[in-house]
Amino acid sequence: MVDHMRRCLELAAEALALKEVPVGCVFTVNGQIIAESKNSVNATHNPTRHAEINCIDQILEYCRLNNIDYKLYFKNVIVYVTVEPCIMCAAALNNLNIREVVYGCPNDRFGGNTVLDVSNFYEQNYILNGNLLADEAMMLLKEFYKGINPNAPESKVKKDKKV
Amino acid sequence: MEPPVKRNRIDDSINSITIKNQTGIDNLIDSIINSKNQPQIILGDEYYQTLPLIKVFIGHVKQPKDISKLFEILNEKLPLKYLLHLKRVRKKDILLSPVSFLNSDTQESIQEYIERNIPEIKDCFEYFREATVPLTPPLTRKQYMENLRHWSLNFHPNHYIETIMSDQPFKQSEARNHRIYMALTFEIVKWYFNIKSYEDILQSDFNAAVVVDPTINSVVTLAVDNRHEHPLQHPAMLAIDNVAKTQGGGAWKIDIDDTLKEDLKEKFKIQYGTRSGTAESPYLCTGYYVYLLREPCIMCSMGLVHARAKKIFFSLDTPLGGLKSKTKLQCIESLNHRFEVFTGFL
Repeated sequence: MVDHMRRCLELAAEALALKEVPVGCVFTVNGQIIAESKNSVNATHNPTRHAEINCIDQILEYCRLNNIDYKLYFKNVIVYVTVEPCIMCAAALNNLNIREVVYGCPNDRFGGNTVLDVSNFYEQNYILNGNLLADEAMMLLKEFYKGINPNAPESKVKKDKKV
Repeated sequence: MEPPVKRNRIDDSINSITIKNQTGIDNLIDSIINSKNQPQIILGDEYYQTLPLIKVFIGHVKQPKDISKLFEILNEKLPLKYLLHLKRVRKKDILLSPVSFLNSDTQESIQEYIERNIPEIKDCFEYFREATVPLTPPLTRKQYMENLRHWSLNFHPNHYIETIMSDQPFKQSEARNHRIYMALTFEIVKWYFNIKSYEDILQSDFNAAVVVDPTINSVVTLAVDNRHEHPLQHPAMLAIDNVAKTQGGGAWKIDIDDTLKEDLKEKFKIQYGTRSGTAESPYLCTGYYVYLLREPCIMCSMGLVHARAKKIFFSLDTPLGGLKSKTKLQCIESLNHRFEVFTGFL
């Protein structure tokens, strides 16, 4: 478990180096990493390209190429991610019937559990566990918010910095 | 309202629903464009609900001449604090305090409380009674009017809220634009999924999105449901990615059919284009309106928050919807962006 989260932190650090919000994620089946990614919102100009969404895309492509039913495949997936999935990602992971999510630090701004508990809206839910290497994950975020998001309008950046 | 009138209305609406379901898709699209009704905003429940009530003590004054003196003394000794939306005085009645203000253990009456704590006014009252009054301020004129029977209220109408909640929140020309862009979502679904009637729409879960830059009245992008191939590719998510492509980004390769785009342009006299690349190039979907045939799911709703869309319009509710049916993301105050949501096209 800790090893998987360490890999996520490496990916998050890579994101930070690219001036992305530093979030890293791996998807595993039977303890093996089957997809890994980082936040790529600035690179894609698409605010939904969170690390989890990128991993989901990778697995869907893998399933398509190998004629695997993704609906069955996702049922065995355990997700490791440095920051609690946001409301959007939490809903996407619920839709896909993921087995379990392990996150680093909570997401006070958009968290799919902290800000709005998305699990209330779905019949089946994944197991959610947090606080694995949370300090390291948080540290990366703090590092990012010290700097400036080059793509955000100026006024918004100033607001962000106060939070 | 009298019950017989109500029953007639329900019968009428059932009949009209049955007829509507059999409506051919083209007639439906015509009726969306030509309807006189305007889209209606979806605000938080607090704007629609009846106000919660609280029990208070009222003192009936013997001499009207005492009222101004009582008003001053009570404001000092028994301030209304969080009940400032309630007027202190109504005719010969004076609002004293919430019933819960008295210590229920000692079972002291309001009369005993005043005799003990504000003896200078103890002889001013003919009698005391309890009344029920709204606990929270009215947010709308409707809530204000509904609660006047309880007690006199202070109310400062928010003109923006009153307009946006009215039957005519938009200028006629703007409302017509909203209807045309919504009609496009139905045309897209019709084209891709062989939809023939309103019934076909109701029995499917197909969805489509139209993103508009209202400052230049131009369609930025269109998107159609691909969720049956790819579970993330709901039209809102695709539309956000398509907007990213107009800004030199994007992650998915899928796009809408060019023939359809041309057909829509001709039929609806719309134009395509963005301000991307100009000095006013928008950031993400900032300032954009997003039209969806169906209410977006929670994933898509949050995607639209991330994208900072300005207004969202949809026609049909969805069971897992994030803007009306399951939750209203536009009402979560802690989110860093909020948009307005409208429905009521059919």
